[in-house]
Amino acid sequence: MTNIDSAEMAATDTLFPVPASQATPSVPSPSLRKRLHIPKPSVIFASAWLIVLTALTFLATFAPGLVPFIRDYDAKVKVNGHAKAYGYGPGWTAWFGTGKSSEDIFARCIYGAKMTLIIGIGATLFGLIIGSIIGVVSGYFRGWTDRIGSIITDCLLSIPPLLLALILILRLDDLKSVYTWMGWITRPWQITFTLGLVAVAPFARIVRAQTLTLREREFVTAARSLGASRSRIIFRELLPNLVPAMVTVAFTGLGILIAAEAGLAFLGLGVERPATWGKMIDIARDDIERAWWATTFPCLMLFFTVLSFNLLGDELARRFDIREAAV
Amino acid sequence: MSNVTQAATRDIQGPLLELVDVKTHFHTERGIVRAVDGVSFTLDRGKALGIVGESGSGKTILSRSIMGLLPIRGTDRTGSIKFAGREIGSFGRKEMRAVWGKEMAMIFQDPMTSLNPLMKVGDQIAEPLRIHLGMGKTDAVATARKLLQDVRIPEPDRRLEQYPHELSGGMRQRVMIAIAMACGPTVLFADEPTTALDVTVQAQILDLLGEQRSDRNMSIVLVTHDLGVVAGHTDEIAVMYGGKLVEKASTKRLFASMRMPYTEALLASIPKMADASHTRLNVIPGRPPDLVNPPKGCRFAPRCPYARDKCLTDEPALTVTPDDPTHSFACWFPVGSPEYHESRARIDKEAAA
Repeated sequence: MTNIDSAEMAATDTLFPVPASQATPSVPSPSLRKRLHIPKPSVIFASAWLIVLTALTFLATFAPGLVPFIRDYDAKVKVNGHAKAYGYGPGWTAWFGTGKSSEDIFARCIYGAKMTLIIGIGATLFGLIIGSIIGVVSGYFRGWTDRIGSIITDCLLSIPPLLLALILILRLDDLKSVYTWMGWITRPWQITFTLGLVAVAPFARIVRAQTLTLREREFVTAARSLGASRSRIIFRELLPNLVPAMVTVAFTGLGILIAAEAGLAFLGLGVERPATWGKMIDIARDDIERAWWATTFPCLMLFFTVLSFNLLGDELARRFDIREAAV
Repeated sequence: MSNVTQAATRDIQGPLLELVDVKTHFHTERGIVRAVDGVSFTLDRGKALGIVGESGSGKTILSRSIMGLLPIRGTDRTGSIKFAGREIGSFGRKEMRAVWGKEMAMIFQDPMTSLNPLMKVGDQIAEPLRIHLGMGKTDAVATARKLLQDVRIPEPDRRLEQYPHELSGGMRQRVMIAIAMACGPTVLFADEPTTALDVTVQAQILDLLGEQRSDRNMSIVLVTHDLGVVAGHTDEIAVMYGGKLVEKASTKRLFASMRMPYTEALLASIPKMADASHTRLNVIPGRPPDLVNPPKGCRFAPRCPYARDKCLTDEPALTVTPDDPTHSFACWFPVGSPEYHESRARIDKEAAA
């Protein structure tokens, strides 16, 4: 410091050297990002993924009302008045090209999104509710309840999920044809139940782990010392504090379950109508050399949707400081 | 039922709290931890008792044993705990629930973690009112507002709607006190209530507890490691070491004529204003005893500067001093005895040499 001062004095040759604070900008000015009130990159990305998903959900929900923009599910895009398999590639006429029976791939992707999202969200909710009950009960009561909960989750985890799904779906199909009262369990329901069941174990584990840490927290002891009943502690003290963890794992889980649904559809256990993305890929995969667009675009839809859910889940986990234990 | 117990508590004759040979043992992989090993004392209505001891002396476990707030698994609690004439040591969870909050309440060390972060302050204060007194929402909120005023929180209406993270540490501890006070308990356990707070706030909180005690004719059990905290705020002090009571006396008497070398050492370890700066702090050498294998004889003997052979083999019992029936201590060669003076002289001579 003194060296700089003396150097400056020598250079300017004056009795009144420039104070160091003026000579060098010692206080860094706030960055451009802060001055323009631009949020952090992670927030921007998270918002972007959220917008993508919201847009997709919006389109999927209101697809039938957007006819000129999105063609009907069964509308044929004809070439010179004739239906032609893979008649159009991606372009203005059909954005994502046309399929084997000259259907519009873009329209099918949007209609497929609806079914995909319904199954994904349904399975996540199913897994989350059952998993949370098992997790909270075994984490809070410990002892033999915990042992039973652990046995259930361990059993579920020890069966290969794909095998479980295949067997369960086929079995439910049989049951449906035998018992009339089970007639409502159509293919979408079967897949939802099956995937939900697969999701129970990881959800249960995370919720149990969180419950175990929460129940030892001082505020739970404080509530007990005030005479709060068990149910009051579970519903008023534990559950609200579990919500961040649950939402976070639900988002990550949703991405995984959507991918799993596509996997099942690819193996032939998909929903026929409206065809989910996995089913669309399954239908067009034999013609991938003739018409790459018929498989690529559903794949891309799947890719971006799963990615969005996962990255949103990551961002939430960062926000809520949740370490992923088992997903 | 509730009115009957309440009435019984209010008009009770004799001591409010009576402990006889209370033991709390934990079964661990290392063996049995004798965290509380035969503690007996009585506490009268409206009195403040300080339980003092270093970390690991069992003072927190003792207060939680009385409250019945210990984990069930691997814990053995024996002995008799009589509260207002009722033996609560044998109470089950359901019976305790009627006592918790209503007749006994507890405030904890760290106000940062003892409030539910996701519940509004007002709702948390209203909680015990709704559990025990069956108040409706509007009544409970009005009472909560009154309680916040009692604990000197400015702008109670605004605070009711806030979450714990919006309050300062001292304010949160005041909220905790308001919650504990809500149903008018007859005894309040304060487990190191000021350890996590600023020194200036400490005094305010302790004064607040004192005021509430006299306003509500409530007993307080103040658990702390800081003799300075109990000095001005308690009627009696019980000193714990290694899970046992080693000295018990009225606050005045204890500071004036302590008998137990451990109490003396605790007091000597407080830095004094008169000391020159950079004076070495007086520490008690050694570590707290291992409660799985406590030392034979007097538990403080391995660290006691005045220990003799007898101290290492025979355990002294808590005995009453001849001149004051309220003062008892557990030591073979207490402060003031001829042996004590002899050892003292030897130590001073060594220090001088």
